[in-house]
Amino acid sequence: MQKLKYESPVIQKMNAGLMNKFGTRTEYEPVTHIDGVSVNRMMADYGSPLFVISERTIRQTYQNTVRAFKTRYPKVQFAWSYKTNYINAVCKVFHQEGSWAEVVSGFEYQKAIGNGVPGNKIIFNGPEKTNEELTLAINNDSLIHIDHFEEMYQLIDLSEQLNKKPRVAIRVNMDTGIYPMWDRFGFNYENGQAWSALNKIVASGKLQLTGIHCHIGTFMLSTEAYAIAVRKLGDLAYNCKTQLNTVIQYLDLGGGLPSANTLRGAYLPGADTMPSVDEFAEAITNALMNIGFAAQELPLLILETGRALIDDAGYLLGSVLANKRLSDGRRATILDFGVNILFTSFWYEHKISPAQAFTHHTEDMVLYGPLCMNIDVVRQSVNLPLLNRGDKVVVHKVGAYNMTQWMQFIQMRPNVIMIDEKGNTHLIREAETLAYIEQVEKMPAHLQQINL
Amino acid sequence: MKNNTVIPFLKYIGSAVLNSYGMLFFSKNKLFSLLIILVSFFTPFAGACGLIAVLISIFAAHAIGFGKEQIQNGLLTYSVLLFGLGFGSNFEMGIAFVLLLFTGALLTLFLSTTLNAILNKRGLPALSLAFIISTSLLIIASKSFNGIGLTHRHIYWYNEMFSLGGNNLVNLIQQFENWSVPDYIAGFFRSMSAILFQVNIAAGIILSIGLFIYSRIAFILMVLGYAVALIFGYAMGGFESGNMSYYNMGTNFMLVAVALGGFYIIPSIRSFLWIMVVVPIAYLMVIGLGSITFKMGVPVFSLPFCITVILFLHMLQSRKKQNKLVLTPIQYYSPEINLYRYTNGKERLLNEYYQPISLPFMGEWMVSQGYEGSMTHKGEWSKALDFVLLDNEMKTFKLPGNLPEHFYCYNKPVLSVADGVVVEIIDNIEDNEIGGNNTQQNWGNSIVIKHAEGLYSQLSHLKKHSFKTVKGAYVKQGDIIAYCGNSGRSPEPHLHLQIQATPFVGSKTLAYPVAFFNVRENNANTLKTYSTPKEGNFISNIIPNTQLQNAYNFQPGAIIKVAANNFANEEWEVCTSIYNETYFYCKELNAFAYFIYKGTAFYFTNYFGPKNSLLFQFYEASYKVLLSNNIALTVTDYFPLNIFKPNAINWLQDIVAPFYIFIKMKFEYAIQQDENGLNNNKIGFTSKRSEILFGKQKNIKTATVTIQNGQLHSFTFQQNNQTIQALCSN
Repeated sequence: MQKLKYESPVIQKMNAGLMNKFGTRTEYEPVTHIDGVSVNRMMADYGSPLFVISERTIRQTYQNTVRAFKTRYPKVQFAWSYKTNYINAVCKVFHQEGSWAEVVSGFEYQKAIGNGVPGNKIIFNGPEKTNEELTLAINNDSLIHIDHFEEMYQLIDLSEQLNKKPRVAIRVNMDTGIYPMWDRFGFNYENGQAWSALNKIVASGKLQLTGIHCHIGTFMLSTEAYAIAVRKLGDLAYNCKTQLNTVIQYLDLGGGLPSANTLRGAYLPGADTMPSVDEFAEAITNALMNIGFAAQELPLLILETGRALIDDAGYLLGSVLANKRLSDGRRATILDFGVNILFTSFWYEHKISPAQAFTHHTEDMVLYGPLCMNIDVVRQSVNLPLLNRGDKVVVHKVGAYNMTQWMQFIQMRPNVIMIDEKGNTHLIREAETLAYIEQVEKMPAHLQQINL
Repeated sequence: MKNNTVIPFLKYIGSAVLNSYGMLFFSKNKLFSLLIILVSFFTPFAGACGLIAVLISIFAAHAIGFGKEQIQNGLLTYSVLLFGLGFGSNFEMGIAFVLLLFTGALLTLFLSTTLNAILNKRGLPALSLAFIISTSLLIIASKSFNGIGLTHRHIYWYNEMFSLGGNNLVNLIQQFENWSVPDYIAGFFRSMSAILFQVNIAAGIILSIGLFIYSRIAFILMVLGYAVALIFGYAMGGFESGNMSYYNMGTNFMLVAVALGGFYIIPSIRSFLWIMVVVPIAYLMVIGLGSITFKMGVPVFSLPFCITVILFLHMLQSRKKQNKLVLTPIQYYSPEINLYRYTNGKERLLNEYYQPISLPFMGEWMVSQGYEGSMTHKGEWSKALDFVLLDNEMKTFKLPGNLPEHFYCYNKPVLSVADGVVVEIIDNIEDNEIGGNNTQQNWGNSIVIKHAEGLYSQLSHLKKHSFKTVKGAYVKQGDIIAYCGNSGRSPEPHLHLQIQATPFVGSKTLAYPVAFFNVRENNANTLKTYSTPKEGNFISNIIPNTQLQNAYNFQPGAIIKVAANNFANEEWEVCTSIYNETYFYCKELNAFAYFIYKGTAFYFTNYFGPKNSLLFQFYEASYKVLLSNNIALTVTDYFPLNIFKPNAINWLQDIVAPFYIFIKMKFEYAIQQDENGLNNNKIGFTSKRSEILFGKQKNIKTATVTIQNGQLHSFTFQQNNQTIQALCSN
């Protein structure tokens, strides 16, 4: 018989409830395997902490999402939002599934090209695009989304220099009843800037107006906001056709679809409160069908969904470093990962499961990361079984933004592995080393020598 | 008459004359016609009479006011030619002869017109009946006229030859005549020449060569007809030689064989076998009718041939099912072309009569129950289709799967399969629980749409109160009409589609193909045209590309100007025929290219005219165009073999074509743009022609077509190892 785990005794407040011969129980179940691969095994092979990405989950989520739209609207295209997770292996899974690339910087643009995405299937967003980057995008016939008038004039200048007619769209922001209103990107709809931009683009004769883009916010909890956005974009597209004699070929609804994570401060778990992707698809496609376009002139619907497609596929595996009692009596557990690599713990109340068997006793506790920094809190308060040093935990739904917004701060970034559909693990990003981090540092000559 | 009207007029008279000669062998081949004229002058007097009679009838018909189309094809006048030849071979020259030739020619023309009118209405040919009646009449009547007498020229025909070509010609002819070939072979050539009222081996050989050039199949049929008659005759123990001339002996049977084996019937193994049955029937007629006409003092001529052919064709027409031993649908005056066109058209164009029906959903669904399904598609309701949505684990639902909402297809838009008027809606039935069944209201919420008289579609098991249309409304193909539900006899959400002939919910079903759809199998996509989705198929609609549609939706009256290096400029006008067929007409080259535009596809059906034209290159390049930019689809099709210049292998193929086709001309098409390509102003595709010889594929030609701003911009093709670009403009 396996030796029973020792748990240090603790005095708990009496919880009144129905008597139960099994005692109190937790909702937790140990997560010992991911896609059939042992968590212990992966951590033994690749170290702790460790990011794990499930290729099967990516493909399933992608196909389910695409199906939700394609069974409701004839022309749908997804473009993988690079900033959500631009590890090349991840991007390539999406590209294999048929996704284009949506990038917001020259760096991401180069990554997409490097991943083999044809230039004319790259959507170039973002407020900053240099002349060099735009020149490349124009020569590649990419879809350039204009963020401000300065960029529009910059493009007109470039198109004259290059004697090419770049394909462009404008980004539009609008009031969709969402707070806060994302009005810092693109041209505003209500104050007429968007219409003015469209007019100027067509009048310039230098640019090929191809589409209209919006991104109404992130982690949207209302489907109606999308319907409003479609109606407003549709209004612009319809006016372009009737007044500017220019057919808008696509409407890019951006991203913003939520994942099943629970936002900080939310009362109920995210999975229970979020509208399903089907509900979003229903709202978006219904509104599109009602713009007033004939069946054969319906614009292509582009979606830049990032988070909803990748969050579920990412796991973070880590180990317990220590336990302590805080001054107010709360239990604190210190883990070997913190906000440095789990950036989203600023936003979400991540679900964390132990990776091994545990008793039914649970306790509210704080989860801290390993940083010598006060902000490093993974969960402010979570009810978990008691964990000992060396125990393993699995953080769920961490695929989005963590592997792009993580920071090299105090600790170095760990390995990232992918479990393929056959259950094989592949290292897709190696843990950082001192040499890797210092290779870009330069030492002035007078500082070479120190004498302590 | 001005010069510019004289030449076309002469051309027209010329082709009328040539076709009159060709028609004797069911041909419109000009070269063969010239050979026949040459051979007819082996008996110069009869030959001249024939030519004169034809000219008389052509001018008479023209003067009476027959149209160019009626005269030019020679159908009215070939009987007159036969009359002239026959009359000239039987009577002596004199004033009475001239008068009778003239009168007889006119009589034959009248008879020919009337018989054609009477018989053609029933889809039967008049053949040479007019000639038989008029010539017999004249022979009988001539006995009362003293001014005309029978000639012996055809008995002493060497004399005529001598007067024509002196000793040399007679020697040459004699060499053929003394040629030591078995009688039955010489008999074949003599019978061949007897079609022109001669008994001359040399004439028979020349005609045989001409016939072979015109049609390999026709030649083989002639041999077959002759052989069958010969064997039958021997089996019957011979016959009284008095009644049998070479004409009777061979000609009737040979003509029967060509007419029924390959001309009025598409040549096939069946038609060849039937010849072996029908020729003996003709044989009986020759003997029987011959004995009767002999008593009246006239030969039986080709009467047995005419009666046998008309009887047999009439019998075939009276069948309920015409699928075996097919009557030639469109006469191209060549057994080969008839055969190639028919087999090609059977594969490509038979579905023209179906109204294009699309799938009633968006995205890719699976056929959960097909025609004659094992669950509910039975008996009179067997021609129905059920569709569901699956995930990549082949599940129709997401967990836990105990509510209709968990099923992927539930609440998905349902589309109209074609344009039409809503004639029935049932919209008050609750969805079943999963596993439930409502056999009381079997069809659940349903809609019936009328697309044409006797063509209705019914969609069933829809969601209550989800209808987007009302009874009496007009809906277009692809319009959302309702949402998928779980009402009626539906244990789990699915969509039921059936086509029916009556407007009621639950009418019995009608097998009807879906016009264009995509089937995905092992991640390979295949285009299906006019076929029925099978159970287990993953299918989706073809989404048309507006640019391609605009470019290929050629409107009557439109003119396309085309220019290319090494080619003269061409102007193609888009025209519509009286049968509502659309075609390009190139006036400069007198070329026609017939096409069909179906919204999702464009295809050429036929080409007439010179092959060294740009229009022909375009015909080849755009033989079949799928008007969709779904890159995953490759379209293949086959050309009729006769459309390209023949070579030796093709001739070999012609000979065995009724039994086995070993050459195929394959057409492949691939779009250059991808599925959601947004490039507004440019889209193109590549098409390839390759020859498949005994299953081995050899690429012959590659072409590309470029569409710009929704218009045909240019196309390229290969010729003499160089790529030529043709620019098009409106």
